[in-house]
Amino acid sequence: MDLIGATAAWLSDPAHWQGANGIPSRLFEHVALSGGSLALATLVALPLGLWIGHTGRISWLVVTSANAWRALPSFAVIGLLVPFTTVLDANLGFTLYPTLVAMVVLAGPPILVNAYQGVADVDTDLVEAARAMGMKERQILLGVEMPIALPVLATGIRSAAVQVIATATLGSAFGFGGLGRFIVLGDANKDNGELFGGVVLVAALALTTLGLFLLLERRLVSAGLARRTAG
Amino acid sequence: MSGEPLIRWDWLFAHLGPIAERVGQHLYLAAIAVSVGFAISFALAALSIRRRKLYPFVTVLATAAYTIPSFAMFAALVAITGLSVFTAEIPLVLYTIVLFVPNIVAGFDSVPWDVLDAADGMGYTPGQRWWRVELPLAVPLVVAGLRLASVSTIGLVTVSAILGDSFGGLGYYILDGYKRHFTTEILVGGLLSIGLAVIADLGFVLLQRLLTPWAARRTVGG
Amino acid sequence: MMADEAGRAGHGSGSRTGAVSLEFRGVTKRYGHSAQARGAVNDLSLEVPAGAICVLVGPSGCGKTTSLKMVNRLIEPTAGQILLDGVNVLTEDVTELRRRIGYVIQHVGLFPHLTVGRNVAVVPALVGWSKERQLARADELLSLVGLDPAGYRSRYPFQLSGGERQRVGVARALAADPPLMLMDEPFAAVDPIVRERLQDEFLRLQRDLAKTILFVTHDIDEAIKMGDLIAVMEEGGRLAQFGPPDEILAHPASDFVARFVGADRGLKRLSLVTIADLELAPIAASAPPGLPTFSPSTKLRDALSVLLAADSRGGVALDEEGQPCGFVTVDAIASALAEDRQPAATRSGGVTRQGATGVGAAAGDDS
Repeated sequence: MDLIGATAAWLSDPAHWQGANGIPSRLFEHVALSGGSLALATLVALPLGLWIGHTGRISWLVVTSANAWRALPSFAVIGLLVPFTTVLDANLGFTLYPTLVAMVVLAGPPILVNAYQGVADVDTDLVEAARAMGMKERQILLGVEMPIALPVLATGIRSAAVQVIATATLGSAFGFGGLGRFIVLGDANKDNGELFGGVVLVAALALTTLGLFLLLERRLVSAGLARRTAG
Repeated sequence: MSGEPLIRWDWLFAHLGPIAERVGQHLYLAAIAVSVGFAISFALAALSIRRRKLYPFVTVLATAAYTIPSFAMFAALVAITGLSVFTAEIPLVLYTIVLFVPNIVAGFDSVPWDVLDAADGMGYTPGQRWWRVELPLAVPLVVAGLRLASVSTIGLVTVSAILGDSFGGLGYYILDGYKRHFTTEILVGGLLSIGLAVIADLGFVLLQRLLTPWAARRTVGG
Repeated sequence: MMADEAGRAGHGSGSRTGAVSLEFRGVTKRYGHSAQARGAVNDLSLEVPAGAICVLVGPSGCGKTTSLKMVNRLIEPTAGQILLDGVNVLTEDVTELRRRIGYVIQHVGLFPHLTVGRNVAVVPALVGWSKERQLARADELLSLVGLDPAGYRSRYPFQLSGGERQRVGVARALAADPPLMLMDEPFAAVDPIVRERLQDEFLRLQRDLAKTILFVTHDIDEAIKMGDLIAVMEEGGRLAQFGPPDEILAHPASDFVARFVGADRGLKRLSLVTIADLELAPIAASAPPGLPTFSPSTKLRDALSVLLAADSRGGVALDEEGQPCGFVTVDAIASALAEDRQPAATRSGGVTRQGATGVGAAAGDDS
């Protein structure tokens, strides 16, 4: 009970909602880092996954390494990156870069695997029918395979987004700002209000993102596929 | 860090004993989490299969749990449980449940209904049907869940290093190395924990080959 | 499907312009080094005139589907030529070629994320027709295959029955008015009653459209019903016999063909002939009342079955107006097979009661 009161008190204190260390600027940092790493990961992983799914090339590599990628603990990745990124930039290499790269590494595999799986699972009859009607390979991929794979593909991006938002807090143990800063500081100062306030903010951000993605998916996925996704 | 070599082998060789202890602690923390999580998840999955209406509820809870950062959960628990082995294990167990339940449910869902009908038709009792038909056929997806959960838990154990020096397994070296700007420690902690995860993953793949010889041929691209 | 009058008018006016002739010339497809691999095709040569339905039939793995897919180059032949109106398909742009060829498959391959209307308009959209023209064409085709456009154009494939899906599949294949249609077991996935109706409707449609059609099936009865020409293929991708249905049934070229068409091929031939083709005896004044009656379009096989079941030696043939116009006897039906009796005299004597029960069993096997 004490915890809830302390958390509510910390969250409602106007002093925590302003300045460079206030909630809005930490939230902005968090969203910018998550959004940026998600965009980078999507940019690389989505086309690659679609291409592998369509052509079937090096699909064995995806299938066998999907799990191995998940074996990379973000905590270790951030730590491991520090020695290398500090060579690039002494300051940012110690705060921003390791977390950013680790989040791209975290988000990439689910996006790639789902894009690959979604396209590879499209009924071969449909692809052949499309080909037989004179669609070019690019038209088959963009006009048939991608819309049909969309639910699977979107699930990959959505779960990557939620994971990145939650895991980006780890960066705060390694000098990055973001909402994790409140958790680190709350832990260090034995200030439970700040600690739990940080947890609430991260969870709220993750759930909001989850909700937004689900809404977007409902908009984008064809009604003809609605029954399949429900099943 | 300039002038310092990437790895100081002398440090490494001088600390083989403590490193081995950290590996032991890492495996101990992960093994408890995976086995306790598996037991709880199996019960939850069995319940969800019997009472289908519970399942959406379970998945929503699981998704919600995933939105709470592991890092935050460790830190937050200190405020509630104080510092003990539970502080490290509760979040680890929770995350395994998130990964296990959907896989176990999917495993039992994947058993074709005509096979179940055939089993009933041949006079299996419900118990026999479960042991001799459903469980063996669900094994591939259950093991897939074990692989995922063990790999992810081994990774998460490193995060428990933020609880203090007596936790974290190899994660201790990552955090300590970062604080002291000492690359050797970071590399030892990071690479060894990745190595443990890969070994665990391969171990479960082997286990599955042994348990399901009939499925051995369709593991890739199946 | 379409109005009967239109069907007959089409029948009368003969083929529409646009059908092409199709020729396989020494076509071979090998998989790996084995000439016996499933789906291989060995030196296939045959000619299909414009506007005819040619059915490729044979056991599974005999290369019939491979042969079909080589026409629109989903599979490329190892050797030989396939000619459309004398032009080798291998020399044409593959995309252009495919847009001129309609393609219907067993599982239809309707795109689940597109409405029925947009599915039908896929090829028109690909070749850049205007939106209005696409919609108009889709509506026109849906009516053609017997689906009310207003009720169907906005539905999604999952909202259709198996038979409706097949109709949409046919409509989609017809969208760009292709001179050639490839149909790979198009009616195999629906139940026997729906299948028969789809077959009848398609034949009626074809009388008007007069497309050149290459049709693959493993079902000899469907081949006999649908084909102007039948190509029987055997394992190893060899052409066992090629000719009109009656010739295949009357003179099987080999033991394989005889076995494949079945011991009841005499009865099957009867299903190619109707009462209208039969020489009728005058109706005897002494004929008892209550005899079975037959319309001119009744197949001899069905007439025989009715007569045997009624334990009657004869029945009354009716003309188009339903007036009695002659007498049908079991002997007359038997003699319809007579001209070809000599080559297979020992086998075609099977017009007996055993033969009749055989018919029942065969019909049951179809399902």
